[in-house]
Amino acid sequence: MLLLQNARIASENSPVLLEGDVLIVEGKIQEIGSSLALPEGARAIDARGRVLMPAMFDAHVHFRAPGFENKETITTGSEAAINGGITGVVMMPNTRPALDSATAVATVLENAKDRARIPVYTSGCVTKNREGKELAEIEGMRELGVKMLTDDGDTTADPAVLLRAMQYATEFGMFFASHCEVPELAGPRALNEGVMSYRLGIKGSPACAEEIIIDRDIRLARAAGAHVHIQHVSSKLGMETIRWWKSRGDVKVTAEVAPHHLLFTDEHIGDYDTNYKMNPPLRTQADCDALLEGLKEGVFDIIATDHAPHTPFEKAQDFISAPNGITGLDTALVSLYHFFVEPGKLGWDLVVKRYSAEPRRLMGLPVPTIEVGQEVNCVLFDTEAETTFTREFMKSKSQNTPFIDQTLKGRVDLVILGTEILLER
Amino acid sequence: MARKDLLDIASLHREEIEFLLDQSTSFKKLFTHSVKKIPALEGKSVLMLFYEASTRTHSSFEVAAKRLSAEVTNFDVAHSSITKGESVRETIETLQAMRTDYIVVRHSHPGLPGMIARQTTASVINAGDGAHEHPTQALLDAFTIKEKFPDPRGKKVLIIGDILHSRVARSTSTLLQKLGVEVAYLGPGSLVPKYVPASIPRFTDYEAAMAWAPDVVYLLRVQMERQDVQFFPSVREYHRVYGITTARLAEIRDKGLYIMHPGPVNRGVELCDAVMDYERSLITNQVENGISIRMAVLDWLTPGGEFPRQESYVAQQQVSSKVIMP
Repeated sequence: MLLLQNARIASENSPVLLEGDVLIVEGKIQEIGSSLALPEGARAIDARGRVLMPAMFDAHVHFRAPGFENKETITTGSEAAINGGITGVVMMPNTRPALDSATAVATVLENAKDRARIPVYTSGCVTKNREGKELAEIEGMRELGVKMLTDDGDTTADPAVLLRAMQYATEFGMFFASHCEVPELAGPRALNEGVMSYRLGIKGSPACAEEIIIDRDIRLARAAGAHVHIQHVSSKLGMETIRWWKSRGDVKVTAEVAPHHLLFTDEHIGDYDTNYKMNPPLRTQADCDALLEGLKEGVFDIIATDHAPHTPFEKAQDFISAPNGITGLDTALVSLYHFFVEPGKLGWDLVVKRYSAEPRRLMGLPVPTIEVGQEVNCVLFDTEAETTFTREFMKSKSQNTPFIDQTLKGRVDLVILGTEILLER
Repeated sequence: MARKDLLDIASLHREEIEFLLDQSTSFKKLFTHSVKKIPALEGKSVLMLFYEASTRTHSSFEVAAKRLSAEVTNFDVAHSSITKGESVRETIETLQAMRTDYIVVRHSHPGLPGMIARQTTASVINAGDGAHEHPTQALLDAFTIKEKFPDPRGKKVLIIGDILHSRVARSTSTLLQKLGVEVAYLGPGSLVPKYVPASIPRFTDYEAAMAWAPDVVYLLRVQMERQDVQFFPSVREYHRVYGITTARLAEIRDKGLYIMHPGPVNRGVELCDAVMDYERSLITNQVENGISIRMAVLDWLTPGGEFPRQESYVAQQQVSSKVIMP
């Protein structure tokens, strides 16, 4: 039994935090009220000033297993998630071997059961080995619970292949997640085409490389009657393209935005800092501002990190040679608080909606709330404390993040899932 | 104020540039002496680390170092462990163990000399990194222009060609602007990025660019080896639209304009053969001045690694953003 006293309770439905005591018994919320009596044998936690909210869910992570366990494993990845207040994730299938068959998916899910303290779901490939040619074993993966199909990291280049996959898989209630990029336009360098790419002498990737595929894939989904989910949008016009399609209402489209695309611009790359090298690349302040508007408006249904660990050795190369991607699970919630909630740009209700409730709805999972009778799946967040993202603090196996050694306001103090306290600080 | 490394033009202060150009004048005077060698860097070692092919820059640095009495070692990339998959980082660790004083580096990846500089106590000189910077080329260009225009402020230099892939264009334009020279770009729309700084007029039409009334026409080499895709239909068409044709040379001669080129020249592409004999062509002056500029740079830098890390101007901006404020 656990009594959280004087917590400020956040919900996706209310911009106001309600103060109260929350009594947890056997993994369920038994009572919410003011000045609840401490039952015998119960532990009291003074949560005064701290925010209690449903735990986050990240629908776009790379746990690198199987194949790249030197970067991340299911265990270290899920511990990084817990460290950041996240109690469920969806893995991307760009592992080695790629998750393009029931056998590969079954192995991952089996491993996850043994090695993670949180539910780990996985997406499956659209095409075999993510090569964009032959369809993956779609139904076999669905049988194991896969809902999301994606060749993430690579756009399914041939629209005819994607259309056929959409026509086929939609019958099984699956949806498609699109990494949007015309590779011939984007090039391999992961830097926005703009003032910075000129200055640094690196071939830039124009935003239109993303916008073209956003539009293409939504059109394909419309033609197939499929649901398409647009991953990690980075550009203003990309956001506006999605907004326009959503406003028509004749195609099922959802979209996500990553914290780093809201926070950083290509200027941050500065002196070739590979911690800012990611795909899609960081763009301009105008893009960041537009993405934030899109998040507030609901153009973006969810926040997802695109947690992409790489070893220090790989990232310590020069900008051209270093791989794309940054980690995000350890830092996402604190950084969202520090840069957006604390300065009043986003309310807690929106964070809960976009990073806890909607991602679970996308995946067809139950949505946790802080209400009587609900299973406990929550985070207690201290808005006054600070977090310093030292290497020791990070639980991800890799620490390729711009936040390394930064101190931000806010701290994840407690993560509870069912009867288990996953994290307590 | 001496520096450990010379990585870019962007971070050089005007006084530093003036100092290097002055020093270069003194070194150039040495060339008329029967003994051209001085003992300034006696006992010092210079390692030439060229990952890309180079004739002019490589030999120019080598001659410069030898005239200062330094020992020169050529790191033979083609026969090194790099061909066995050794990373640059590992190579640098090896080189650091050899305690060389200077590393002159050329690489196709932008930013790589900076990365090396952060890992060694040697003075690192960027001899060209991808399409990023080529600071000694910029210095020798400025020196060559100053020989003709001792006060170059207000003069105009038109840089023609492949701006997109050109480290020379970036470095030289930055340096000339620091000296008060106006710079404009001319080239095919596919090779002149639309994001060049607003201070540099961007032309895609030769007539319009000439109407801007340049004093110097600076032709860039068409770098076919960097073009993994086709940026213009043919060299014949390039020459006709952007090259100095015989007819255009006549106009340039009438106006008394100077012509420069970083070399090697693609004859019949950037310029017609006759340009090589044009009395106001500064192309060989550039080569000659390269040696004295590189002597000035080697003499100026101070190896040892006890100096604060040299920051490029973008890195200086970065200092404030280290407490990340979007």
